[in-house]
Amino acid sequence: MSGPNEDKNTQLSSHFFGDLLDSIIVDVASECHRIAKLGLDRNLEEEEEEMRLSVQARARVADPSNSSETNTKYVVDIFGQTHPSIATEIFECMNCGRSIAAGRFAPHLEKCMGKGRKARLK
Amino acid sequence: MKHSVNRPPTPDAAEDQGKEPTLQEIINIKLIESGEKERLMELLRERLIDCGWKDEMKALCRAHVKKKGRTNVTVDDLVHLITPKGRASVPDSVKAELLQRIRTFLMSAAL
Repeated sequence: MSGPNEDKNTQLSSHFFGDLLDSIIVDVASECHRIAKLGLDRNLEEEEEEMRLSVQARARVADPSNSSETNTKYVVDIFGQTHPSIATEIFECMNCGRSIAAGRFAPHLEKCMGKGRKARLK
Repeated sequence: MKHSVNRPPTPDAAEDQGKEPTLQEIINIKLIESGEKERLMELLRERLIDCGWKDEMKALCRAHVKKKGRTNVTVDDLVHLITPKGRASVPDSVKAELLQRIRTFLMSAAL
């Protein structure tokens, strides 16, 4: 069924569809704008921070004045933290009750648990 | 005689408003008054969310915001950004469904 009325209907329908779509587009744009301005998009902020840190880390690695020794001591991990090469957290040895630094614990335990006899059990 | 006597008569205010509303305007009013426009908009919105169209548009906006920085972006920027892609990427089935609903309304509101 074609005729001038049909074409007009089609034209009008398209017009109104476009109208609805444009309104929805403005809504979406408005929503995104609001989210951006209010800083509600946490991912965006985290990404910006990560970018910044990765650029920093890359610069540090690329820097020839960093010797590998210094690197292992002061390199930054993925959370932006630095660690001393010997872990400094202190806790109590469950065997002898002394306060031991975590990084020194293994050699301590070797001696501590081996006390009383020099020879180690195989 | 003063020239002012010969000037054209002041247009009648009422007559001015008597400009015939276009068919489009009439139908628009009918759409709004019947609540159908609102229903159509909600339908379209729902369909566009379901098919991922809204997510696509939001992704475009986020990328733009990331590039330009949060403080520099205006609503206008975003509208201009997503309009061409937005218009082009509506799925055919969604478009067809809405067009059909609108056409049905037009026929039922036949003047």
